[in-house]
Amino acid sequence: MAPIGTELLEPTSVAVQTLNAVLDAPLTIGDLLQPERFITQTINGIQAGFVLFLIASGLTVILGILDVLNLAHGELYALGAFVASSVGGYLVGTGANAIFSPPTSFSPVASFGFVLVLILVALIAALIMVPIGALIETTLIRPIYDRAQVYQLVLTFALLLIIADVVELVWGSDPQQPAFATIQAINDIPSFDIIGFGNIPTLVLMVILVSLGLGLALFWFFGRTKTGRIMRATAIDREMATALGVSTDRTFTLVFALGAFLAGFAGAMQFVITRAQTGMGEQALVLSFVVIVVGGLGSLRGALVGAVVVGILQNWMIVINPDFQTAAPFAVMVLILLVKPEGLFGSWGERT
Amino acid sequence: MTPGLTREDGQLKIRVMKGLELTPLRLLLLLGAIGFLFVLPAIARNTGDLPIRIRPIYRGMVLGLAAVGLNLLLRHTDLVSFGHAAFFGTAAYTTAIMVQLLNVQSAVVLIVVAIVAATLMATLIGYFTLPHEGLYFALVTLAFGQLIYSIPVGIQELGGTDGLNALTGQAGVSINEQYPHLGGIFLNGQEVPNTILFWITIVLVVLSLLVMFRIVRSPFGNALDAIGQQRTRARFLGLPVKRYVWAAFIISGIYGGIAGALYALFFSTTIDPGSTLQVFVSGDILYIAILGGFKTLTGPFVGGIVFETLSNVASDVVLTGPAGEKEVGRLITGAVLLIIVFAFPSGIVGSLKPGGRVYEGVRELLRNPGVIGPWSRRAGNGLMNMVKRAADNVRILIMGVK
Repeated sequence: MAPIGTELLEPTSVAVQTLNAVLDAPLTIGDLLQPERFITQTINGIQAGFVLFLIASGLTVILGILDVLNLAHGELYALGAFVASSVGGYLVGTGANAIFSPPTSFSPVASFGFVLVLILVALIAALIMVPIGALIETTLIRPIYDRAQVYQLVLTFALLLIIADVVELVWGSDPQQPAFATIQAINDIPSFDIIGFGNIPTLVLMVILVSLGLGLALFWFFGRTKTGRIMRATAIDREMATALGVSTDRTFTLVFALGAFLAGFAGAMQFVITRAQTGMGEQALVLSFVVIVVGGLGSLRGALVGAVVVGILQNWMIVINPDFQTAAPFAVMVLILLVKPEGLFGSWGERT
Repeated sequence: MTPGLTREDGQLKIRVMKGLELTPLRLLLLLGAIGFLFVLPAIARNTGDLPIRIRPIYRGMVLGLAAVGLNLLLRHTDLVSFGHAAFFGTAAYTTAIMVQLLNVQSAVVLIVVAIVAATLMATLIGYFTLPHEGLYFALVTLAFGQLIYSIPVGIQELGGTDGLNALTGQAGVSINEQYPHLGGIFLNGQEVPNTILFWITIVLVVLSLLVMFRIVRSPFGNALDAIGQQRTRARFLGLPVKRYVWAAFIISGIYGGIAGALYALFFSTTIDPGSTLQVFVSGDILYIAILGGFKTLTGPFVGGIVFETLSNVASDVVLTGPAGEKEVGRLITGAVLLIIVFAFPSGIVGSLKPGGRVYEGVRELLRNPGVIGPWSRRAGNGLMNMVKRAADNVRILIMGVK
């Protein structure tokens, strides 16, 4: 079993393997200072960070508003990745049954159209997670809000165990990889090679942009829309929100469903860039905790900064000393706890 | 106050030690349980296919002991630690490192040093987690546990994810003599040494439980209760809250350390991060405390044995899904945990105790078997209400509140 924490960044897909050919030689700290490698690792780190942000943002929003530490969140992310593998297999393929086939060579309309198809796959996978999240919240978590906190932890831990086994029952324990043609179709789009960084796959750029788009949408949602503001108000003062006519029941379910959506979307992104595999959930969960501690409990902005920091750091560590790739984020977390125990951005509510 | 007989409200009680007075029946039950544990190795040897296997039960005992330590925080200071594997694993790894890299073979030295290491670890982690409460405490302990986990994973000399043997591998010594020894007996995983270790563990567990009993009944224990109920009030009363919480954290870490050292001696060939330090081990320890009943003293220990036996049996269960056959041990343990959370929140021991759900239920049933009627009606109504509430929630979710 791979050590926890590395999986999110483990370069396994064909796309990332091309990049790895560059990194095959034995590495030292000095290697990181070569401009090309430095930029490659940093951009990979940003990509990993954005996916991590999507996971951690769901967790932090649930934590900030519902006051529940959802240990099953990582498994929702894994479930999202596997759902995306099925949705992708149905929508995209090279066989006769596939609805969309990836273009075999670069042409602007077909290639960019195919990017939209992949985004559609991720959206469908994430939307499938929404009713699942709502169902979990209404049937299982709702009855125990007023019980001791330990029961919520134990309940979500039980969910973690159950979902992990259900995923293996449905999809088996072998990893699910996106078809090679799919990856190739995206990587055929010239992006980094225009500016001379041909070893960074376009797929990485796509994941960064799509996650960034969703992240911005999230900030807009909490900053500008009525539902988002209601959610923040509930986070700041639950009783006051109720007194003003906010239905906390509805808010809670929506928040949990939103968290499941974000986890599912992140899972789909991760599936596209590497693969869906068992055990990815727990690793993402643990890294999300680091992100939350670094960024501040319930702070979206903090989650973004924390996630990108963790992502970049881990990718730098691949070059500096791969053995401590797992430990590095936790070391940063300890440092933050010493200097700023409330995290970089404090707690939720007043600001997004 | 010496052990002896006392009479309280006309009932004969046997005083075991200061503060611990039991009715003859309860004392007999307790002694019976301890005696049963003593003969378990013999039973396990002779039952063949029955799911009484000594290794899971032993693992359950030591994890249960760690859970007893965790329970000091959980039950009294109301802090949920999700990183208790750190102490368990620290002690296990210290044992393995000392045997493997420093050629220490005396089991007593191993246990003592391992406990010291776990204590230091608890002191350190406790210091960092001290300012936090509630969920943040769980989060921070979990992250610290993960930090400790990633250390042996990253150090090749400690075997990475494969782990370390607690075998010295000295040249010129027979394989048997490469194991740690206890008074001339080599703990080589064979039947006799394992049985002896099993018995020693039972004795240590009983002693640890008695010590814990004294701790929670002491003024210190009462202070922890006050802190758990409301920190601010406890501080205003003049209690040194932080120092007490820190002390409780260290004590609970020591229990984890004893458990880890005993674990390492028994499973001397496989001390790997996955089974001693990983977040799931912390989860298991917490699970064990809840399963056995975290409002009781002995609950976590009982929970440990039940949990490990359960997962051992459950791991053999195979279901067939769309992707073929698959063992569903986690699914079953998760489902049991759901049942515990919703139906028996006070856990096994808590439910069996007088006043507990099962105890009172059985008593009522014995008095009047007709009570089954109202019970099933109540269960039906409860189920109906749950469905109605879920439907309401969905309606509110979609339509909003009108």
